[in-house]
Amino acid sequence: MTATSAGAGDVRYDRAREGATVLGIYLASIAVALVAAALVLLATGGSWTSVLSALLDGSVRGPGRWGTTIGVAIPLLLVALGTIVNSRGGLVNLGQEGQLFVGAALGTYVATHIGTGGPGVLFLIMLAGVAGGAIWAGIAAVLRYQRRMPEVLTTLLLVFVASQAVGYGLKNKNLLLDPTPDQANRNLISERLRPDTRLPRLDWFGNEFPMTAFIALLLAILVALVLRWTIVGFRLQMLGRGPRTAHRAGVSEARYGGLALVVSGAFCGLAGAFMLAGGDFGNYRLTPNYPVNIGWEGLLVALVGRNHPLVSIPVAFIFAGLRTGSGFLAATGVDRDITKVVQALLVLALLVPPAILFVRDRRRALAAAADRV
Amino acid sequence: MTSPAAELQGITKRFGAVVACDNVDLALQRGEIHGILGENGAGKSTLMKVLIGLVLPDAGAIRINGESRRIGDPAEAAELGIGMVHQHFSLVEPLTVWENVILGEPIRLDAAAAKRRVGEISERYGLAIDPDERISDLSAGLRQRVEIIKCLRRDPAIVILDEPTSVLTPGESEQLFEVLRLVVERENKAVALVSHKLDEVLAATDQITIMRAGAVVDRRDTADADAPGLARAMVGRPVSLRSEGAALGHIEAFEDDRLATGPVVEAARATEPQPVLSIRGATARGRDRRTLLDGLSLDVHPGEIVGVAGVEGNGQAALSDLLSSLLPLESGTVRVRDERPLPGRPGAMAAAGVAVVPADRHESGCVLDMTVAENLTLVSPPRPRTGRALLDRAGRALLDRAGRQAHAERLIEQFGIQTPGADAPMWSLSGGNQQRVVLARELSGDPAVLVAAQPTRGLDVGAIEYVSERLREAAADGVAVLLISTELEEVLDLADRIVVIFRGRIVGEMDRANLDVERLGLLMSGAQEAAAS
Repeated sequence: MTATSAGAGDVRYDRAREGATVLGIYLASIAVALVAAALVLLATGGSWTSVLSALLDGSVRGPGRWGTTIGVAIPLLLVALGTIVNSRGGLVNLGQEGQLFVGAALGTYVATHIGTGGPGVLFLIMLAGVAGGAIWAGIAAVLRYQRRMPEVLTTLLLVFVASQAVGYGLKNKNLLLDPTPDQANRNLISERLRPDTRLPRLDWFGNEFPMTAFIALLLAILVALVLRWTIVGFRLQMLGRGPRTAHRAGVSEARYGGLALVVSGAFCGLAGAFMLAGGDFGNYRLTPNYPVNIGWEGLLVALVGRNHPLVSIPVAFIFAGLRTGSGFLAATGVDRDITKVVQALLVLALLVPPAILFVRDRRRALAAAADRV
Repeated sequence: MTSPAAELQGITKRFGAVVACDNVDLALQRGEIHGILGENGAGKSTLMKVLIGLVLPDAGAIRINGESRRIGDPAEAAELGIGMVHQHFSLVEPLTVWENVILGEPIRLDAAAAKRRVGEISERYGLAIDPDERISDLSAGLRQRVEIIKCLRRDPAIVILDEPTSVLTPGESEQLFEVLRLVVERENKAVALVSHKLDEVLAATDQITIMRAGAVVDRRDTADADAPGLARAMVGRPVSLRSEGAALGHIEAFEDDRLATGPVVEAARATEPQPVLSIRGATARGRDRRTLLDGLSLDVHPGEIVGVAGVEGNGQAALSDLLSSLLPLESGTVRVRDERPLPGRPGAMAAAGVAVVPADRHESGCVLDMTVAENLTLVSPPRPRTGRALLDRAGRALLDRAGRQAHAERLIEQFGIQTPGADAPMWSLSGGNQQRVVLARELSGDPAVLVAAQPTRGLDVGAIEYVSERLREAAADGVAVLLISTELEEVLDLADRIVVIFRGRIVGEMDRANLDVERLGLLMSGAQEAAAS
């Protein structure tokens, strides 16, 4: 057989070394951020140990703070899972914030208009959230595959449409506005969810959080399994990494890409419904600016988790910790603007490594492509 | 004797662990065409890029007219009188010829003067062209003329041409060499002709430097050189196999044994009169409304290799795309066996039994960011099987990862793919091995038709021989093979029947038994009437 005679120059590929490299980049990046944060605090007369200590107190060390952080991590993880699905399919969804908002709004509408309560209604609220997010992302999918409009733009712009549309709903008693006549200041808020349509909360060692934490974990595992063990997952990733090759192999761009966007939106909508019925956000009421950046931050979670569902679990927790921890920073006496800089540095520390790795992978692909010439 | 126009001394350039040039010496004399001959990856292009300032050498010296110089970028090279015509054109398609020629010159825009200048150059060198023509309307041969005019407008003393004939018909190539001869004899310029084709180096040059694996292995006067000797020097061993000869651009190789595969094909075709692939009146336009295919009709029978010859850019890519389900048709049909797959629908052609080895494997042949095992099972990933109908139907949604691994390992063994493992990423493989992965996947699907577009582009000679052998084997097994190639030598080597593609349609056909290279060349250049007579 002449087979083995030809072809030289195989590049060594070593998983262990790759893992060590990634870990090293992260550690270096975090170290640099911590040093920079310490320098900023020193220069402004603050104490970096007290800031760090406050962040830790607020996120995990204080009594009951684990529960609070978990409560924030749940929607972050769900949004990240949706983002992972569309990213693996090669699509860019920047509309998580809007999809989440529409999901929460539709959930509110169902909750406040059905009139009864119970587990069945709670389930309907979740379903409405999923439908809201899916429809909102579905608009972008239709525009993408019927009219060739880039989903990067449409998803992003639909965030602003969502915020105006829900805002309108919140001004209208027939839609979302709380119709209670004795409301004093006419705040643009919805009626509170009835107690029997709220998600059950667990109490573990003084840490209270909604039971949806387990649903979120199960969904993360489910997404990981689908991507790894199913034909749909395989074909979706084929589409993401080589659209022309995928087309030839029988992957319909419109079907798989559209599906990825809709699923992504559905996860965001579910995150919105979980926030609404979970109790950690807005006290069971829909308010203007309800998503409070959970959509954007969930996108970052997926980015930092390098589009891996299981890696995104701890990442979501870390991002949630940065959020809940910041509540305690005011007590350190450090200027609020400075503490924001410190937080931003820590987020950057997590975002820089994926960017470095992305550039490295691109270079590698380009180098591989160059050997054609 | 005066010092050479350009002299490279001890040039060494490494890219990572790869030594592209290893202590190379080269002298370009005025009034001479110097052929630089070598396989793909021998270091020819890197050496020229050092001279033009695109690559900085790790070691070595450059002397221009005897003076030591450091060339940091192409602008410095241009000041020293060095110009290069690159293998890949760098023209702006929506602009006209004269606009492209003066593009990048730091002068005030003067259309009349620029056109005059283009006219002067084209007259002086016999490069007829209309300065007002738009680049997008020009054939590949004319585009190259524009590139040459661009290069000559600065009146360089040293002209480098990198694989200039890959886009030309045989006739156009001869014209090009006449121009080069003129440049050398009348204006005493020094010309470097980089090529991997033996015949053209023998025909057009005065001196030959042969490179292999980054080093100069031989230098000869063209007058003292012969094809077998050059081939041996290029590859490092005697070359006997026909495909290897073809890969080195040695056309004579088949004029002798062109009947070799004739009888076999006749037998195969006699038993199977029905074509297995039949394209009728295929017409398609690109997104810019440009005609890609213009009523193309083509039949391929089981067991035969049909070669589609033609100059690059005449619809080869569209034909390959059509058979990869990547191009929908405006009119016309494709029939594969008894099926009529809908052109453009995802996976339709693959499902009908059309296997494709595309020209650009990175674009539609494989997924670089996936593993070798994944790439080997893109079209039909294995599903788990239990033997129970009900369970198997449910299992159709699932991926059998263990089965995939086993399947991949089998193919890696069978096709001799050199890889650290089945789960190594595709990008970590060499070009030749990536091509083997594509071939292995496409052939393992038991296809009725195999389309091979430029299947040996960018491969070394050993890999070329392997790919050619596989194509012949596939045909012998009864697969209808359609070979689309702009390398005429490759078509002549492999095809039993040759059709010529020109501006999106088939303009002529020829059996191997009645091979007439001259007529082929005419057909390729679109001179239909001349060929018909």
